[in-house]
Amino acid sequence: MTLGSIFHDMWDIFVTYYIGQGLLWTGIGYTLLLSAIAVFFGAILGSLLAIGKMSRFKILNFIITAFVEIMRGTPALLQLYIAYFIVPMMLTSLDPTPIACVAIGLTLNSAAYVSEIIRSGINAVDKGQTEAARALGLTSRTTMTKVVMPQAIKNILPALGNEFITIIKETSLASNFFVGELMTTYAVIKGVTFNTVPTLMDIGIIYFVMTFTLSKLIGMAERRMKASA
Amino acid sequence: MHDQNMLEIKNIYKNFGSLKVLKGVSTKVDKGEVISIIGASGSGKSTLLRCMNLLEEPTFGEVWIEGKLMTPVDPYLHYDVIRASNTYKKLLTAGMADMDAITKIKSEDMLQEKHSKEGPEYKALMEKIYKENHIDTNLGRRKMSMVFQQFNLFNNLNVLDNIMLAPIETAKYNKVKDLNAEKEKIREQAMTLLKRIGLEDKAGVYPSKLSGGQKQRIAIVRSLAMNPDVMLFDEPTSALDPEMIGEVLDLMKELAKAGMTMVIVTHEMGFAREVSNRVLFVDEGYIKEEGTPEQVFEDPKDPRLQDFLSKVL
Repeated sequence: MTLGSIFHDMWDIFVTYYIGQGLLWTGIGYTLLLSAIAVFFGAILGSLLAIGKMSRFKILNFIITAFVEIMRGTPALLQLYIAYFIVPMMLTSLDPTPIACVAIGLTLNSAAYVSEIIRSGINAVDKGQTEAARALGLTSRTTMTKVVMPQAIKNILPALGNEFITIIKETSLASNFFVGELMTTYAVIKGVTFNTVPTLMDIGIIYFVMTFTLSKLIGMAERRMKASA
Repeated sequence: MHDQNMLEIKNIYKNFGSLKVLKGVSTKVDKGEVISIIGASGSGKSTLLRCMNLLEEPTFGEVWIEGKLMTPVDPYLHYDVIRASNTYKKLLTAGMADMDAITKIKSEDMLQEKHSKEGPEYKALMEKIYKENHIDTNLGRRKMSMVFQQFNLFNNLNVLDNIMLAPIETAKYNKVKDLNAEKEKIREQAMTLLKRIGLEDKAGVYPSKLSGGQKQRIAIVRSLAMNPDVMLFDEPTSALDPEMIGEVLDLMKELAKAGMTMVIVTHEMGFAREVSNRVLFVDEGYIKEEGTPEQVFEDPKDPRLQDFLSKVL
């Protein structure tokens, strides 16, 4: 197999299967859908976890810390497998589809990382800012909403963007359950063509275009945010 | 039951873990007084200042602002509370005299923190004193604003909003009827203050674009906008370049002349000598010496103070 023939096959497979059979759009569609769900609900759940972890309730602190550490300390693939089998058992009446189970697994995983992003974003705000606000007699709530959070957001948003990129890559794990996202197309095309390497390289290029575009967009947003301060 | 000093701290102890930073500090600040707190680094002078507005919570002791109690009640400061405790009653039945028992309880920290162990009479008295005198921490802090070594202007707000934030939030808290009119008044006051320090053209600028001296003068003005009764200064010139120290000290002198009550932790001995009515020398967690600037600087009694002055003057 020459290099030239690999490029030739890559082009061939791309035109025939990704464009011709529309696998590109369904693959990207499912990948972005899964990532968007995981990031969006992960951000909401992650914020709640971060708030809970900053509260004074010791038991809540312990539970959240345990959850976050377990999610960060075990492989995402393992978590998806567990979600894939456990969610249908717990929600028998809803009869969740595999993609829903995977989405829930990814969301929980992303929530753990997001909660750490938010927590460290808040902690990165200089302690003097809080002290100055409290010394002026502002309540802890006003201090949080008017002084700390507006500054923390600037640390949090770029990191959240990066989490989005990470999640896009992690959705490839969902191909283990044939949910139709981009990595699943590998199994589909391989089954017909038996041509592995060019297919994998096509997929790599598609992932890269997605993540690279996104990271440039995030960079632009970041620069605009810095300019506004 | 309490005299109307502007600010009074009673027998303040502050421990950070096993480190004892303050070991029983008491002082009164009268209206219009300018007090300088001097001492070596690590002597506890900043901690003392931060205990006054509860940025550090004292381990023991009480802080009073205008006759109102900001800290929890410290039972050791109230003989009647000690006498109401079970611990005291036990000592008395064991044959101890009244003052001996009180002294023993105070010096050995014998009162149980759980009120129930000291009996209902003790608990009721503690609650009564608290209820009659206590003021919410945030309300207390609004009477005494603080200026920091690191300025601590809010980075997310421009100069004008930095000054206006706390007065506006206070107006909201007080449920002012016409908030917009009140905001307009606050804005006018803020602009007047900015004019006073010659920085009205910086109203829309963010803190990152200002020099250290400008930041600190704006921080002072931000404190003034709360119309405080006492201003606390925590080494306000220590983080400044030498050429900017003058402008900040000049503003502080102006405030002192205008009759503002001020407590200043400082390393600027010349300044302390010039503007203070009273100087406190803090060392090893105690006020080792206090007096007029003349007494403290020209005729120091404490050997540690003599040593300190010989190094810094």
